[in-house]
Order: sequence, then structure tokens, then C-alpha cells
Amino acid sequence: MSDIFAKTEEIVEKAKKLGADEVIAKTTFGRYRQVRFSGNQVDISLAWNDYVTDVVLAWKKRLVAGQIHDFADVDGNVKKLFALAKVSQENPMFGGFAKGRFKYATGNADKKLMAVEDPTDYVFEAVSAAEKAAGGEVDSGGIFFAKFEDVYLVSSEGATGVDSRSAVELSIRAFREREASGHGVECSSTLNDFDATRAGRKAGEIAKLARNPKIGDEGAYDVVFDPLIVGSLLGMWSGMVSAFAVLAQMSVFVDKLGKKVAPDFVTMRDNPAPYCLYNRVFDDEGFPTQENVVIDHGVLRTFLHNTSTAKLFKTETTGNAGLPVPNAWNVELDAGDVTKDEMFEGVERGLYLTNTWYTRFQNQRQGDFSTIPRDGIFLIEKGEIKQSLKDLRISDNALTLLGNVAGISKERQHVHWWFEAEPPSLSPYVLIKNVHMTKSK
Amino acid sequence: MDEKVVDYALEYAQSKKVEYAEARAQTQQRDQLVFRNGVLEAYASAVDEGFCVRVIANGGIGFASSNKWTKEEAKEIVDIAYKYAAAAKRKEKLVFAEEKGVKTKWSVPQKKKIENVSPEDRIAEFVEVNKALTSCGVNIPATIAQCTIDLTSKYFINSEGSEITSFVPKMAGYFFVTVAEQGKTEQAYKQFGYSGGWEAFDQWDVKGNMIHTAKVLKDVITKGKAVKAGNMDLICGPEVTGIAAHESCGHPMEADRILGREMSQAGRSFIYKGGDYWIGTRIGSKAVTIVDDPTVEHSYGYYAFDDEGVRARRRFLYKNGVINDFLHNRETAARLETRSNGSSRSVNYDREAIVRMANTFVLPGDMSEEELVEDIKNGVFMKSFTEWNIDDKRFNQRYVGREAFWIENGELKHPIARPIIETTTLKFWSAADAVSKKVEFAAATCGKSDPGQGIPVFTGGPCLRLREVYVK
Repeated sequence: MSDIFAKTEEIVEKAKKLGADEVIAKTTFGRYRQVRFSGNQVDISLAWNDYVTDVVLAWKKRLVAGQIHDFADVDGNVKKLFALAKVSQENPMFGGFAKGRFKYATGNADKKLMAVEDPTDYVFEAVSAAEKAAGGEVDSGGIFFAKFEDVYLVSSEGATGVDSRSAVELSIRAFREREASGHGVECSSTLNDFDATRAGRKAGEIAKLARNPKIGDEGAYDVVFDPLIVGSLLGMWSGMVSAFAVLAQMSVFVDKLGKKVAPDFVTMRDNPAPYCLYNRVFDDEGFPTQENVVIDHGVLRTFLHNTSTAKLFKTETTGNAGLPVPNAWNVELDAGDVTKDEMFEGVERGLYLTNTWYTRFQNQRQGDFSTIPRDGIFLIEKGEIKQSLKDLRISDNALTLLGNVAGISKERQHVHWWFEAEPPSLSPYVLIKNVHMTKSK
Repeated sequence: MDEKVVDYALEYAQSKKVEYAEARAQTQQRDQLVFRNGVLEAYASAVDEGFCVRVIANGGIGFASSNKWTKEEAKEIVDIAYKYAAAAKRKEKLVFAEEKGVKTKWSVPQKKKIENVSPEDRIAEFVEVNKALTSCGVNIPATIAQCTIDLTSKYFINSEGSEITSFVPKMAGYFFVTVAEQGKTEQAYKQFGYSGGWEAFDQWDVKGNMIHTAKVLKDVITKGKAVKAGNMDLICGPEVTGIAAHESCGHPMEADRILGREMSQAGRSFIYKGGDYWIGTRIGSKAVTIVDDPTVEHSYGYYAFDDEGVRARRRFLYKNGVINDFLHNRETAARLETRSNGSSRSVNYDREAIVRMANTFVLPGDMSEEELVEDIKNGVFMKSFTEWNIDDKRFNQRYVGREAFWIENGELKHPIARPIIETTTLKFWSAADAVSKKVEFAAATCGKSDPGQGIPVFTGGPCLRLREVYVK
């Protein structure tokens, strides 16, 4: 351990000796294990061991980044990177890295995730739970993924830290019929809090309900969004509160700081807490991560920053430095005051959407987009699920949807899957009014 | 790259009770430049290299990789891969379709060697584009640009005697532009791709392309009219034809999707055994032939041998409107009792090779673009697109036009603002009655698998005329 830290420190020292103004080196020793399955059988099991040091250095506001693998040829790599800085172009917007020595919270990494014994067992547990909940045979597929990372960070500006980060997740999609499927996910930072059967059960329950779907009708609906699809919405909104997205005009939140963007009962925060998949005690500048209230009772309070973007916005870093742009770690929507059942009861005629994919924009500044719900889509009448539907598309606006949030449930779930619900989030059920649905003609 | 470690990994894997074993190593020098508003945000330069092993044991597949070049590490990852394969407990044992071992070397030539273009010159080219773009008479509040250069060497060996080494230089460019006029904004991005040297930059004409795009966006804001929704003729430009070929032909024809192996991520296919569509079923008109071809020289998706050592070749996916040939790797080919057609690709040493497209495009016809237009009484010419998506069975898709014009009595009229076609795969390809002579390609990064593997591809085609489709 200390040997790896010393080698990471050596990279920073070498770069400084060459004349670099500011340097950060971050070594990650990662062990990743995955099982992919379909047709209720294991397709492939995979393991990756990865030894990498990310190096970022600045010289006269010229910013360059590189990687050193397994500390091979440190001298040559650092020299090459510094030589590149000398011929690179000045970035006047570069505001330096976080300054000072920091104290970090203690992480919660689960050493059992260093080498998971029999990962296929979790897959079979989830498949069985899906089958049981679906009340019959299902065709299911998905992934089990476990990671354990040791991270060593050294900054020439004072920050030094060691963090261990663990995570485990299972994603399962179960088909009760060819066009009747449900998707469940289970996400945790520790094996103790991980229950593969929960994901399987959820997938099976939705798949059972989704049988015999009819093509849905176009129109505007009040929609109950399942926590999984709320994860996709939170991914969309949180991506747009990155200061980089705002500067690049790739956000509906340009010029919205301090303004009302959602109803009073909407509070959204970024919180890389020990329990979440992307847990971490410092960001990529070595600044301590923190809980940031981004939307506070409907008002946009802050963008997510690294040191450079914070200076541009005349504020402080929020501990969201990625290399090179700031991003959210774990988005949380505060729980509301109704239960899921009460939320459904309040819907006279609407939809219940359980998942989505392929979200694409016409214009990220204006927010016009569409996305395609998949797995269970249901018509709600008088608070009850009346019919399974298929082949509908949400064609709406990112800011309008946020403004039309009409209810948030007490129940919340950690969700994350693939590119679609990213970054991880703690998501409730959400009711949104007047959501526009379209279909093929 | 230490080939001795890779050789040892295969040798050690073969000492175990395996039905098949392979080792694949990759070294990738990647330079990436990111610009915002013409200013270089950061220059990233790194070498990523490592190796993997994949084995079949007891009918299961195990895969493991590392970037630590020692025999001890090679032994450890082989042990993990073997253990994982044997633990799969599959009822249906996996095998690979038969292939003979191949010993060869291949590479892509560069006319202007990337290594000889200095970082300063690389930066200067993109700064110059931005300068020209932001002084072209259009109000542009923001641009993002990216240049990615990959020099990739691979070494592949397997238990059947294959030994293939390759070297591919690849260039990629990306430009995102926001135009603001009359209090409104429009946005667009363009992606450029090439296998070969720095000559790509001149061929792309990034400056001309982006200035044209900015002017199009200005026209959409200042002159664009909404289309009156209804059934009408629609001409899709090469960019639109290409994305439709990729999304509603290439993807549903991937055999791993058809078999369900991607079900929880990229999804399945409307084509499946026992369903309405299979090889021999009509899915479009006779005018439609769509191929996937990795052998297009200097294309973004070019390769000579795939990542399982199978020689690349052109695949006829939809032939004269009929479902013809799926995309296969050795695993899917065996499951569907056929042979691989060389569609197995991996983005890196630490990713398994899976079924992928390369360059998917509609074959040309014999009409000129003008001839396609002159026969239309009322319709829309959608030259390029903004928002697009398709459902995960690859049947319900939507394309929103970026550069589009109203056609009246065979002539192009005013710009149309964001026309939309939202239809099914069957209706889209069945409505095609004519294609033009000239094929044009666009670069794209195709996403699939978990962990994600964004792979370089071309989409493309000629102009395609659709009769009586619903446009809104």
C-alpha cells in the first residue's frame, strides 16, 4: 500500500522537478468482476485487474493529461507529458487545482468485494426470484458486477489521500412473453446490503403485469415514473447541472441559477455517500467530496464545480472534479410525503412507466428530446392498472418535465443500469403531469 | 507489448482442460484534444496496453485481462478465466463455429504519417476551424471540438494456431455548435472518422462542413417553417439513410441480439426464431439492399481480420428488401449452425469481442438526386437529422430533420424546421421506391455491451425516396 503511495508521490515530484506548476497523480488499483447472462444461463464471466495512474499537470496554464500503467517507465512518461505541455496551448480558463491539505471522511469499502466467491450464485438467485414473481417461466438476462478499487491521490497543491471504493450491482431483465418484460436492479456499496432477489422479484412482477400489451395511444398523460426511469431523468438533469455543460450551452439550466425550476417540494442533491455505488471521499483534485443541494425546494442553488469552473462562476468548488470536467457522483431526489399506492390512487387516467432507453435531444439548450420507454408500460384508470401497453415514446422537454412534477413518493431505491440510469441515484416514484407521448405511424 | 507474456498465457491456458483458448494483446497510443470556444481545454496523451485471455471450458466461457506484463499475472488471469468458465454450469454447452488457424500481419497505410504531425500543428488546425466558423456571419455562442488519434497494435493467438498482428492508425474529429439568432437557439454536431493518416483532416473539410452546418441552423431559425402533418413523399439524404440503415437494419441483424445475449442492455430484435421475421422474410421494397462491409478502404470501421481472427468480408443484410444474412461471431454462428462472417470486434484488450457492425450502408441505385426530387408533387427533403432513437427491438424509430426543405412540384422550396418521421422498420423500408447513385458516409460511434464498447463505424448510403409516409 505505502509502496504504491510512494510511487504516486514520486510521479508528482518528478513532474515538479521538470518545472510543472501544478501536478496531480491518482493511482487506481482496480479489481472488477462481472457475470453476463441471458436465457437464464451464464454467457460469460469476466475479470479485469487494472493498474493505472492518471496524471494531470499544468505548466503556464497549459493543461495536459496522461496515464502510466503499472508504474512502467515513470521517467519517460512524465518527461513526455511535460514536453507536451510546453508545446500545448494556454487555457486562460484554467484556475488551478484545489489548494491545501484536507481531512477526509472514512470510507465504507467492503473487502469481501475484492474477490467475490461464486458470483454466478447471485445470478441464479435473481433468475429464480424473477421466475417466482412472474408466476411462470421467464427468459431473463443481465449482469452481476462487483468492483474494489484502491485509490491513491497526490497533488502538488497539498492534497494527499487514500480511498477504497467498493460496489456491487445486479441488473436483470425478465421476459414473461416476447413483449412482456420487466427490469430490476440492485445496487450497493457492500455485499451485506446486497440482495439479488429484490432485483429479480421486481423484474418478474413487472413482466407478469406486462402480458398481452396493446399499442398505446398518443397524447398527454399524467405519468407515474418508476424509480428506475426516474434514475434516467435524474441522470439527464444532473448532467445538465455540471458547470461544463452550462458553459458549453448543453444545458437547460443556463441563466437559471437562483431561479425556480421545479415545484417547492422538489429537492435534488448530489451525495457520494458511503452507501452509494460511486462512493468516494475526495474528488479528482483531492478536494473532499460533499453533499450538494442542487435544487432546493424547487430553486436551482448551484452548479457542480471543480476549482476552475468555480472560479469562472465566482464560487467555491463543490468537490465534483472529474478529470477533466465536473460531474455528479450520486443523485438523490428527496423523499416526498405520499406512498407509492397513494400516488397511484390519485391518478384518474394516466400511465405507469417502468424503464426507458435511448434518450436523445434536438437541442440541449432548449431541452427538446425524446426517449423510448421499455419493459412494462401501463395504462392507469381510477388509480388501478388497467392495461399493459407498448410502442410509445416520450416526446417532451427536459425543463418542462421538471416543472410539471406533481408528486414524489416516500419510498426510494438505489438505481443504476448501463448508460441509461447513470450516474447512480436514490430515486423515488415520481408523478409528472401532462407528459407528451407519441408513437409510430 | 511483451508478446512473450501473451504466448505464455496461451500456453498455460492450453495446459488446462480447455476446449478453446485465445490470448489477445493491444497497445493503443491515444492523443485526445478537447477545445471549448476554440481554446484547448486539455491535451491528453497516453498509452494503454494490456492483454486478455478467453477460454471455453466445460461449455462455459471465461475471460480475464490485466495490464501487468508478468508471467505471474498471466498465470493468475488464466486461472481466473478457467475457474469462471468451468463454473458457468450451462445446460447448453457453448462451442465456437469452426475456423482454420490463420498466420498473418496486416496494417492500414498512412499517406501523411500522424506521428510526423506535431502537437502544435494538430492544435492549430482545430483552432483555425473555430476561427473561421465563428466569423462566418452566424452568431455562435458556443462550440466544442474534439480530436482523437489512435495508433493501435494488436497481437492475437489462439489454440487453433492463429497468430495475427495488426496496426491501425485512426483519426476522429467531433464538432458541436450552438447557433443563436432572434432569441432562439439551434444545435448540431458532426463527427468525422478515418482509418489512416493525417490526410484525413483535409478530406473531411471540417471548416467547410461546420460553416455550412452553422448557416443551416441560422436558416432553420430565421426561415424555417413547420410542416403540415400528413402523408407525403420524403427524400432522406445520405446521413438519414445511413442512420436508418444502422439502427433498423444493422442492429436487428446482429445475431447475439437475435439470440438474446444483449437483452438487458442494447436489447433484442424484432427478428427471432418462431417470429414473423427470419431469413427470407420481406422487410422492405426491392429497391433496398443494405450491406455491412468492414473492407471499405480507410473507412472508420475498417478491419482485415476480426478480433477472433476471422477474415473480414462484405455481408448482405437486407438484399432487395429481403432479410438475408445476420452478423455473426463464432459463438452465435455455432448456435445458429452457420459460420462466422467476421463480425467480432472489441474496443480494447479488457473487453470481450462481440458481434458488431463495421460500415453499414444502402447500396446505390441509378437515379440522380435531381431525378428523385423532380417526381415529387409535395414532400420533404430531410438532408440531415438531430434527435433520433429506436426501440430496443429495433422496430419503432424516429428521426428529426436538421437541414430539411419543402419540395413542391419537383423543386426545393423553403427550409422546414425540425420535420419528424416516426415510423416502423417495415413501413420505412417498404416505402422506398428509388435510390440515388452516389453513396456518402458519416462517421459514428456505435454503443453496445456492458461495460460499454463504443466502436467506430460508418453509416451511409445514397439519397433514398420514400413514398407516402407520415411526416409531422
